[in-house]
Amino acid sequence: MIVGTLVQLATFYYLSHAVGSGYRPEGMSYFPFLVVGSGVYTFMVRTISACLQTVQEAQQNGTLEVLMISSTPAPVLLLLSAVSVLAANVLQLVVYVEGGLLLFRTPAHNVNMSACFMILALSIIIAIGFGLLAAALQLSIQKSSAMLWLFGSGAWFMSGTLFPITTLPKPLRIISEAIPITHSLNGLRMALLESASFARLFPEISALALFALTLLPLGMLAFSFAAHRSRQLGTLSFY
Amino acid sequence: MDSIVLESVSKPFRHRPVLFNWMGRERTGETRALDGVSLNVSAGRVLVLLGPNGSGKTTTLKLVSTMFLPDAGRVLVGGYDTRMNASQVRKQVGLAIATERSFFPRLSGRENLEFFAALDEVHRRCRTQRITSVLDSTGLLEAGDTLVMKYSSGMYQRLAIARALLKDPKCLLLDEPTRSLDPASASRFWDLVRELRDQGTTILLTTHSFSEAAAVADVVAVRQKGRLVGTRKLANAKAEQLRDFYFSSIGELDQTLELAESIA
Repeated sequence: MIVGTLVQLATFYYLSHAVGSGYRPEGMSYFPFLVVGSGVYTFMVRTISACLQTVQEAQQNGTLEVLMISSTPAPVLLLLSAVSVLAANVLQLVVYVEGGLLLFRTPAHNVNMSACFMILALSIIIAIGFGLLAAALQLSIQKSSAMLWLFGSGAWFMSGTLFPITTLPKPLRIISEAIPITHSLNGLRMALLESASFARLFPEISALALFALTLLPLGMLAFSFAAHRSRQLGTLSFY
Repeated sequence: MDSIVLESVSKPFRHRPVLFNWMGRERTGETRALDGVSLNVSAGRVLVLLGPNGSGKTTTLKLVSTMFLPDAGRVLVGGYDTRMNASQVRKQVGLAIATERSFFPRLSGRENLEFFAALDEVHRRCRTQRITSVLDSTGLLEAGDTLVMKYSSGMYQRLAIARALLKDPKCLLLDEPTRSLDPASASRFWDLVRELRDQGTTILLTTHSFSEAAAVADVVAVRQKGRLVGTRKLANAKAEQLRDFYFSSIGELDQTLELAESIA
């Protein structure tokens, strides 16, 4: 995994060199732009899949039915199971971004740390909300990996992971704005690479807060409903 | 007072909807695992469910445990409806299903029990003691620290029973509990069942063994094709009497007996 990460970082480094220092998306150097973009994107998708995989594994190894009759509520059970993966993902993100920038001698200065923490915390809540939705889908139709792949590919293209969304045609830009990862990326890039103040970050933070406030309860509701429906249909262990 | 009550419970299982059955490879329609079943189990009693494969015995246990919800009728445990008060029901019910695929294979038996005890809110202070106690009751104390992946089928079965006992349930649901047990372990297990009943635990279990049913049951209920076709209170009944009752209830010939007579 370390080798793969280093190869990816080196690829981004030489890609940014090949593109040239004149290319400054959103006024930032291209290499750190790529590192933050791919780091945050990978973090979000991995966190969403952690919830999904928890359900898939429990279905496949036969523990789901037994877990579902324990005294712990179903959404809490899912979050508790995914918490170790979540912690590992946060650590990986920090190491990837900080390590990448330091290793290739493009350290970030005057970082707005509190804004970074706030954006990361909101992004985690959003990823968990999406994860619960993906897990609900897995319980309902048992085919949510394909849906996650579709979502991941769309977000990879439209959230500004590799290039700024301003280069996209207007209709696609509207869709980009509706993808929470776009705001996580923008916010973290601004806080980390441009030392942006809370006032400048307000649009991104408020958008993320809105997504977080909507997606987490929606995810919990959807998962509880899907679990209830699976009990009704007798399909808890289907996969 | 009735501890477990099923009131006109129906549980059909629909086959895959058309959208997922476009090749038409699966049968359509539904299977009625329970069809208007009503059943009461008094507190501190043992009710044994008998019936052919596919008659809905395991589904009944899953309905009582809240793993499944009824489509019609209602299931009450200690007065709580499994649909409306599922969390209250789960606190009272321990379920041991006859499957090996419900544990974490890379954890030891004790670690598996610690995990499930935490989820079942067994108090942290008495958790270790409780786990040791249920491992001892099921004869797994020595193998408690062995990885579950190295367990035999009988040991899995005993671990499932230990897990069901963890929260000291008021209602114990056992699905073919002695299916993989050796005779000595089975004998010890039935002693445990009698002990639990004497302590006031309500027990609902399924089996195919008439002698085991006759040995522990206060009441037997015979199921066939989702319906309840006979119930009988047992007072010192013998296995042969139970066998006769079973075959007369399901309306089939006891071919084993005929075969034995023809050989003789």
